[in-house]
Amino acid sequence: MLELNNLNLKVDDLVLFTNLNLKINQGEIHVLMGRNGVGKSSIAKMLMGDPNYQVTGEIKYNGEVINNLNTYERALRGIYLINQAPIAIEGVTNAEMLRVALTSKTNEPIDIFAFNKELEKICQELDLDKSFIHREINVGCSGGERKKIELLHMWLLKPSLVILDEIDSGLDVDALKTVATSLKKYFNEYHPAFLIITHNDTLISHFSDCYVHLLGNQKILKSGKMDLAQEILQNGFKKNTNVSDTFVIRKN
Amino acid sequence: MNKLLVSDIIDLSSGSYDLKVTKDNLKINVSGDVIIHFLNEDLKSLDIILNDNSSLFVYYFLKLKAINCQINIYQNNSSHLEFNISSLNNENNNLVINNYINGNNNTSNIRVRSISNKDLSKIVINAQISKNTTGNIALEDLKGINNGGLIHIEPNIVAESNEVVANHLTTIGSLNETELNYLMSKGIKKEEGKKLLLHSFIYSNMDDYIKTVGGE
Repeated sequence: MLELNNLNLKVDDLVLFTNLNLKINQGEIHVLMGRNGVGKSSIAKMLMGDPNYQVTGEIKYNGEVINNLNTYERALRGIYLINQAPIAIEGVTNAEMLRVALTSKTNEPIDIFAFNKELEKICQELDLDKSFIHREINVGCSGGERKKIELLHMWLLKPSLVILDEIDSGLDVDALKTVATSLKKYFNEYHPAFLIITHNDTLISHFSDCYVHLLGNQKILKSGKMDLAQEILQNGFKKNTNVSDTFVIRKN
Repeated sequence: MNKLLVSDIIDLSSGSYDLKVTKDNLKINVSGDVIIHFLNEDLKSLDIILNDNSSLFVYYFLKLKAINCQINIYQNNSSHLEFNISSLNNENNNLVINNYINGNNNTSNIRVRSISNKDLSKIVINAQISKNTTGNIALEDLKGINNGGLIHIEPNIVAESNEVVANHLTTIGSLNETELNYLMSKGIKKEEGKKLLLHSFIYSNMDDYIKTVGGE
């Protein structure tokens, strides 16, 4: 599904990763962990086609090299990112945006009745008031509501690779449980690949099998399964890495 | 809703009005609580007088016209004005709004949203608060987007009284790239995303009624 081959990633003059290799198959869950500032979110943004990043090497998605595709083209191929702090857009409602996105994806007119019905059903499952459907995107919403709204979009657009950048941060216990349940249901129903960026195991403990990668020193330092995540969470990054290796020196 | 084809001087009392103005120098006297939707795509000269203890909400959506428009609004005592104007410009145009606050305890809030697709769009808003008046509030909230054309906005407030709250905010910019990228990340083409953002911007100070009659 997704392959990063000998990938070098830069933003401005700052080298974030060199010679990065990662393969994610359909139906797999991969978890990126690492100290703050090592570039985890940069990988997410780069995969979504953020033009601020310079990439050499190869990004392959379903056999196609997608380095030169823009954000829209990548989204159309099924890549979907939930940012750690989803932005708000005044004046554009969730329904309005999703109608345009869905039309763009299917090239067919939308059955408004079925569309609304589906959104209402998803809202119910996400414990989200259905009034959010016709409200402006994330405007006046709490952090937890924003994450749920992003999941609402995901359920409707049905992506095949979902990148979750700290979706678990800032959620209360109930919201976290709802989000985890929704993601698990989506995973079981559509068998996508998940790339999860997280600092704890609360979310990933809901999934039975995960590949965990520890990032630092511009590369993947270690890969393993859930036991690696447990080890990191128990002992911190120091025991797993050379501390000096885990920082990226940022230029001012 | 009262629909009027207006050609001279009119007195409007409490109610909601759709006005299509056919004469260049129109005068409107406002008493009570009045809402006006202007249905003109162009309007050359207009005087509005708010009588004491009256309120006026104006919604005016201009599009794609070369206009030279001057609107004068006179407020006396204890009146409330909400003047909302949106313009979508494809040609050179010139809009001047003069707001004269001559008495006490008035509020005035002028909101302009303008998109310039081509040529120069010039918008000048003047609020003038007279000497020896008290308890007045004058606000100007003016925003423009350069979308291939140019915008010039002048937010002027002349306060001759010390007892006034006056505030003006003006921004001119282009489309928000972060918002555009967000929409693209949901599978929306750049051009479609631009359309959505421009549409939301231009209608952000209009009421639901104008949104339905204003079209795309």
